[in-house]
Amino acid sequence: MADRGRVGNAGWRSSLVALLAGAAAWELAGRLLRFSFLPPFSTVVGASWELIQSEAILGHLSVSLVSLAIGFVPAVALGLTLGALMGRFQHVEYLFDPYLHALLATPNLIFVPILFALFGVGRGTQAAIVFLYAFFVIVSNTMAGVRASDAGLMEMARSFGANRRQAFLTIVVPGALPLVMAGLRLGMARAVKGMINGEMFIALMGLGALIRSYGGRFEADKVLGVLLLVNVVAVACVGLLQALDRRLMRWAD
Amino acid sequence: MIHIRGLRKVFPGVGHRPATPALEGFDLTVQDEEFVCLLGPSGCGKTTALRILGGLLRWEAGEVLIDGRTVTGPGTDRAMVFQNFALLPWADVLTNVAFGLELRRTPSEGRRQTAKRWLEAVGLDGFESHYPRELSGGMQQRVGLARALAVDPKILLMDEPFGSVDAQTRRVLQEDLVRLQQRDRRTVVFVTHSMEESVRMADRVVLMSPRPGHVVETVDVPFPRPRSAEVRKDTAFVELKEYLWSRLEAMQPPSEREARIR
Repeated sequence: MADRGRVGNAGWRSSLVALLAGAAAWELAGRLLRFSFLPPFSTVVGASWELIQSEAILGHLSVSLVSLAIGFVPAVALGLTLGALMGRFQHVEYLFDPYLHALLATPNLIFVPILFALFGVGRGTQAAIVFLYAFFVIVSNTMAGVRASDAGLMEMARSFGANRRQAFLTIVVPGALPLVMAGLRLGMARAVKGMINGEMFIALMGLGALIRSYGGRFEADKVLGVLLLVNVVAVACVGLLQALDRRLMRWAD
Repeated sequence: MIHIRGLRKVFPGVGHRPATPALEGFDLTVQDEEFVCLLGPSGCGKTTALRILGGLLRWEAGEVLIDGRTVTGPGTDRAMVFQNFALLPWADVLTNVAFGLELRRTPSEGRRQTAKRWLEAVGLDGFESHYPRELSGGMQQRVGLARALAVDPKILLMDEPFGSVDAQTRRVLQEDLVRLQQRDRRTVVFVTHSMEESVRMADRVVLMSPRPGHVVETVDVPFPRPRSAEVRKDTAFVELKEYLWSRLEAMQPPSEREARIR
């Protein structure tokens, strides 16, 4: 346990060093190269700070976060269900597997016109885009997790009289947890990406819409300033899941 | 009473690999409260026979009866101890020991008490909230043993339970199992490839042939019970061990014997 802890602290310090080095390199490049679309890091941080202080950003942020939630929650619920069914039953896997792999590789924005026709401009379309970005990776990881259940433990449970349902709940589910949680973290990161991409593509409100409008005016510092805020949102959301993961996986420390 | 007659088990081939006959004409009778060791060269089907008794495998031909009834699956009259322990890595020791009771829907308080009692019996009191990976191999198998005993089985099926722990620990575990067995008198079928282990523990040693496995010889172990650890020094003990070795050696495939000369 002590070992893990020490590595954890060292890892945290390395991450900090890497971030600082990145910021310094950005600052330097911005100052030396003088490209208008690459303002120095300090200018971007300044732009972020201004955005936070102006009330306007809060409206956009809350619009984005609501779309994120409305898209992500069903992606988790349906993704876990379909993934578990595909991992458990071979014929369900054969049924959905071609679609899963095709759609994992498809740029999801291709569906935006269809979604737009279905839901119109607004929350429905944005949430649907978030859903599409997060759903398939959650399905894929859940399926892999369920499939990875330990044959020896399954046999042990059977020898103690476990029926199918009990074996699933006591052996398969806890065994699948590490991969399922990894899927949720990936899904969350992709959901944030979907949220921004969708809003940049077609939306009037939201952080993505803000990026688009600043981009249209070539205000690079503000574009990157919003992006910085998006990163903070992404890190916070994934961090939330990571905390849950650590709680559930305490036995492995 | 366990009664097996003319048992045949064939593992079907996969792809180009041909089917493997594991057991052919395997006969075994085990009386109540008897301790029987299945001894044989590796791959002779000892574990297969044990898993069939445990209701984990179907077979092709022959009869497998426990107390006159054909084995159709796992049952509350039997519990298994596994070579690789098969503990739940995400559950603490107490939960692991209580696992069989949990599946049988024993209320949680009774479950805890029974589990605690058996943890004490195997010498692990105080380790209730440890996780398996924090324990040595020997301690993990004590948990596996406590889990099996906690469901109070009539028959204990042990698959090379001490095969993956070091020699000293193995001996301590053997003595502790003998002690528990002298107290509770269960029927035990114990798979091993150790001659010493079989002579130390068993009432009867059943020698099996290489695949497809069948019984070559049954050897009664003459030492009375209770049998102390001192029995290992007995000349009869050493002779019996040597006899079993000579029988096993004769069964080694020629390739193995040649490999040893070089």
